[in-house]
Amino acid sequence: MSESFAVSVEDVSRSFGRLKALDGVTLRVRKGEIYGLLGPNGAGKTTLIRLVCGLLEAQSGTVNVLGQRMPQVAVLRRIGYMTQQAALYPALSVEENVRFFAAINGAEDGVKEALQLVQLYDRRTSVVQTLSGGMRQRCSLACALVHRPDLLLLDEPTVGVDPQLRVQFWESFRQMAASGTTIIVSSHVMDEADRCQRLGLIQYGRLLAEGTPAEIRAMGGSQNLEEAFLALAGTGTDS
Amino acid sequence: MSGHRVAAITRRLLQGFRRDRRTLALLFVAPIVILGLLGYLMRGSSSAPEVGIANQDSGPLGAIVADGLRSSSHIKTTDIDATSGDARLKDGTLVAYIVLPPDFSQQAQSGNVAPEVHLEGSQPGEETPVVQALQLSMITLALKVAGRTVNFQPKTTYLYGGPDYDTLDYFGAAFIGLIVFFLVFVITIVSFLNERTQGTLERLMASPLRRGEIVVGYMLGFTVLAVIQSIEVLVFALAVLRIHNQGSVLLIFGMEALMAIAAVNLGIFLSMFARSEFQAVQFIPLAIVPQVLLSGVIFPVSTEPAALQWLSNVLPLTYAVNGMRDVMVKGADLTSSSLQLDLGVVAGFVILFIAAGTATLRRRLA
Repeated sequence: MSESFAVSVEDVSRSFGRLKALDGVTLRVRKGEIYGLLGPNGAGKTTLIRLVCGLLEAQSGTVNVLGQRMPQVAVLRRIGYMTQQAALYPALSVEENVRFFAAINGAEDGVKEALQLVQLYDRRTSVVQTLSGGMRQRCSLACALVHRPDLLLLDEPTVGVDPQLRVQFWESFRQMAASGTTIIVSSHVMDEADRCQRLGLIQYGRLLAEGTPAEIRAMGGSQNLEEAFLALAGTGTDS
Repeated sequence: MSGHRVAAITRRLLQGFRRDRRTLALLFVAPIVILGLLGYLMRGSSSAPEVGIANQDSGPLGAIVADGLRSSSHIKTTDIDATSGDARLKDGTLVAYIVLPPDFSQQAQSGNVAPEVHLEGSQPGEETPVVQALQLSMITLALKVAGRTVNFQPKTTYLYGGPDYDTLDYFGAAFIGLIVFFLVFVITIVSFLNERTQGTLERLMASPLRRGEIVVGYMLGFTVLAVIQSIEVLVFALAVLRIHNQGSVLLIFGMEALMAIAAVNLGIFLSMFARSEFQAVQFIPLAIVPQVLLSGVIFPVSTEPAALQWLSNVLPLTYAVNGMRDVMVKGADLTSSSLQLDLGVVAGFVILFIAAGTATLRRRLA
């Protein structure tokens, strides 16, 4: 395993009872890369992300993050995790939420910057339960990146976010990646996939294909990423 | 009103319950458990209190009264030496003892008898059967000493409490602790459940936070609330309600704080077994009500049927209630072995609950 990989997942399997959520998945994410995990609902994207941030243990195979074998508490400080639902404390204000997650990561100096990044600095005193879904999503993102993690895990970050803001989100992801942050983002929205540097297609717990958006198009034999994906997914179900 | 639409709502409701086996079980099992327990407690309890008799009378009449007392169905009697009486009240083997003084026969002849009635006094109403039994045997006496009316003026003393000591004094001591325990438990179980359902617990677990830090942080947070609540409850109980207190206010406060910490950790532990706030609230009839019935708050543990006494003796609340009464009613301090046991057992349960709460944090996420 080379040090240039921020995340390397080697032949990992994980079942929940009889359900095989991940079945022999191998993938590697380079430092400073934006890696997109694509796949339908229930494909295993969230399970993979939870393995990477140490919430789950692999039943077989290994997960290495930032040079450490997971799960490993010391690495957690360097990971930012944005869950699928906006996991926030509804009775606290935006700033109080962000400050809390900053405090448990020992990085309270990043609060203002994080709030500005998600454009919630003016709304920082608003109580979360009064916010719209998109604002909660932004607050949730601020909580995930307030400690300037080296690895940012985003589980469907743009669900419920309007198109303008989505563009801004991706602009900030690109900036962070440019400054060295590795980002893994899961999605089932294809136009987002095009913004990633590399993609992994997951279905039924298996990695069907991996490559740049252009490579995926070539593999699927279509100029449209969605069609390419469906073509590749179709071969996956046969096996 | 459309019958069809109403039926849709009714059907939807019953469909939901069909999958929620736990709620169904609660709906049909809890009433039987609670009523059964209550029935067993009330019918099965031994009602006749233990009363000691010390007949010091040099004449013949004391023996008549003593015989009358022994045959009474209101009380169970044992003959004792008057000097050992107070010790036996303290260790709880007697609720009262009656001393018939050496000149009792002469008193009876002169028409005024004054037997001594020594009461333990911590339970209101416990003197009633004793006084009743004594009065009945006095009637027997009056018949023997024919032709005279005998005035009956018992000299009553109380080991604890006193003539002004009432039901509120007895229950209040226990309820001060119970209120804090119960409310802190409900608040913790619901807010810890929220932590999980809103997804923030998942975030906490993906952060460098350690499980112990989460538990201790929660404990401190709720302890702050519980301490403020305890002060409020105590001030109200002592200053406004004027509940009888013989002991140190600090000790009562310490006992309350211990109960609050136990409640926090019990809440964290039990929140693992609930998927919704609805299910969390179900722990109240299942985990709290039977404990309250069995902890001696309402029915003294010593009068419970033997099988239930065994159960009562393994419940933390029993010791907490006993400890509160030891301090407030009996004025116990840290040198009292009974209070030491109570504090020790409650502290032991606190440690057990902390361990259980911490352990469940891992499993709930796997």
